[in-house]
Amino acid sequence: MSAQAGTVPRGGSLLYSRLRATARSEWIKFRSVRSGPVALGLTALTVMLGAWLLGTSNRGSYLAASPAGQAAFDPVFTVLQGIELAQLFVGALGVITVTGEYASGLIRATFAATPQRAQVLAMKALVFTAVVWACCTAMSFAGFFLGQSALSPAKHAGLGDPGVLAAVLGGGLYLTFVGLLGMFTGVLVRRTPGALAALFGLLLVLPLVFHQIPGKITMNLREYLPDAGQQAYTLAHSGAYLLGPWQGLGVLTAYVAVAAVAAVALILRRDA
Amino acid sequence: MYRASAAPGAGAPPAPPAPPAAYRRAQAALATEWIKLRSLRSMLLAPLLGAVASVGVADSAVRANATGWARLDAVQQARFDPLAVNFNFVIIGVLLFGVLGALVATNEYGSGLIRTTLAATPQRGLVLAAKAVLAGLAAFALAVVITFAAFFTGQAVLSGAHAPHVSLGDHHVLLHLLGNVCYLTAACLIGLFTGVLVRSAAAAIIGMFGLLLVLPVLADRVTPDAVTRATVPYLPFNLGDEMLHHHTGLSPGVAVAGLAAWVLVLAAAAAFSLRVRDA
Repeated sequence: MSAQAGTVPRGGSLLYSRLRATARSEWIKFRSVRSGPVALGLTALTVMLGAWLLGTSNRGSYLAASPAGQAAFDPVFTVLQGIELAQLFVGALGVITVTGEYASGLIRATFAATPQRAQVLAMKALVFTAVVWACCTAMSFAGFFLGQSALSPAKHAGLGDPGVLAAVLGGGLYLTFVGLLGMFTGVLVRRTPGALAALFGLLLVLPLVFHQIPGKITMNLREYLPDAGQQAYTLAHSGAYLLGPWQGLGVLTAYVAVAAVAAVALILRRDA
Repeated sequence: MYRASAAPGAGAPPAPPAPPAAYRRAQAALATEWIKLRSLRSMLLAPLLGAVASVGVADSAVRANATGWARLDAVQQARFDPLAVNFNFVIIGVLLFGVLGALVATNEYGSGLIRTTLAATPQRGLVLAAKAVLAGLAAFALAVVITFAAFFTGQAVLSGAHAPHVSLGDHHVLLHLLGNVCYLTAACLIGLFTGVLVRSAAAAIIGMFGLLLVLPVLADRVTPDAVTRATVPYLPFNLGDEMLHHHTGLSPGVAVAGLAAWVLVLAAAAAFSLRVRDA
């Protein structure tokens, strides 16, 4: 429990109890704003409804497709494409978790209470990751099962098939990393509209720009944009990308890591 | 002071000043909204980014396409549409106009200025109309500049590379360009009314990215059936696409009417929500 008044814990136990207290206050902040349940609820709705719609819509077209088309059909990615829309909600949740605190001015109270700013950010990221990863992984599984049952007479996958479990887990991981990228972008930009525009620009607009410009350079660089993380929930790897699922997720992780380092550097230097 | 100087029983109190004439009120509302609009930082940033995307980046894409043109086979050469190649980036411009419109509305809710605005002008419909007129005019002017700048530079690049190109006088080219201007303006108004409806910048921006950027990508991948054939062509990006390329099967008149319907329905919903909800 918390330290008694008047007794100051020393050494390692001080760090431990501070991290514990910070994590608790971050958890209170996270669960007491409305945007958390709203964003996660919309994510769940998008992933599951999308999986069901995509499953039913692709069932007929699979049966009508040519043998080559049937062979290239990826039953996992097909039903999990709703993640592409859902990432808007999770990314925005990451952004708002930070920018909301800057907008309300609470961040100054937070840093006055815990001047170890890097630790505050670490605990914020930890709480966010734990909640969002658990929810998004559950949604990814729910979307997978719903989608496969909707696909059913056509080609569908079971969890035991090679690569499928990793791909479904990858869906949850992708969303979590997008949320973290949003959180660190929020620390860098500090204002909601700007941070959202920067995050969505990086995730959605930049790949589009690279896609529209033909040429060898853009084609080779295209795989190293953050949306390479979408490889994580793709089963059939063909043509378009050379990177595999974990390498693709690794690219996204690298973006998150760079954003995290920049966020820590700025949060220590800037006035709140 | 006034009360003391008035002698008791001197007669009826002086009549309250007559309410301002309607046109004066409209003039004042327009003047306030104009100050708010031009002092918005995004008003500078979003069109600048839009110009960079639609003219700068688009021209480099056109250049790459133009130099590759000679290597295309006959079928691909026949399908080469100089206008489509030129306006590949319109999706980004539309996005920026939508977000700009959303910020015009939500910025005021974020700062709380909306309460002052509505206290000064209790005619809430008038406030919304003034906002829409000014944002629409500003968006129209910016869209004209961006569209024609993109067209002239893009076609110059194509003709410089001896690839097929079109000029303003060619069949329907001017109409297509005006259609594109309408599409950009409509996107700004859709964003504005969405912003009034949802009030939060985050929700409005998510709405714009979802409606104008992610849905087109996802709708592309869904296999067409009865339901999607009846709905997908009427989503804003397909209506706007129709203005520029004329291929999804709707007539341009239907596309214009569809976009107008989007704007008007959202305008009605925004006006209703502004009237009945506490600010």
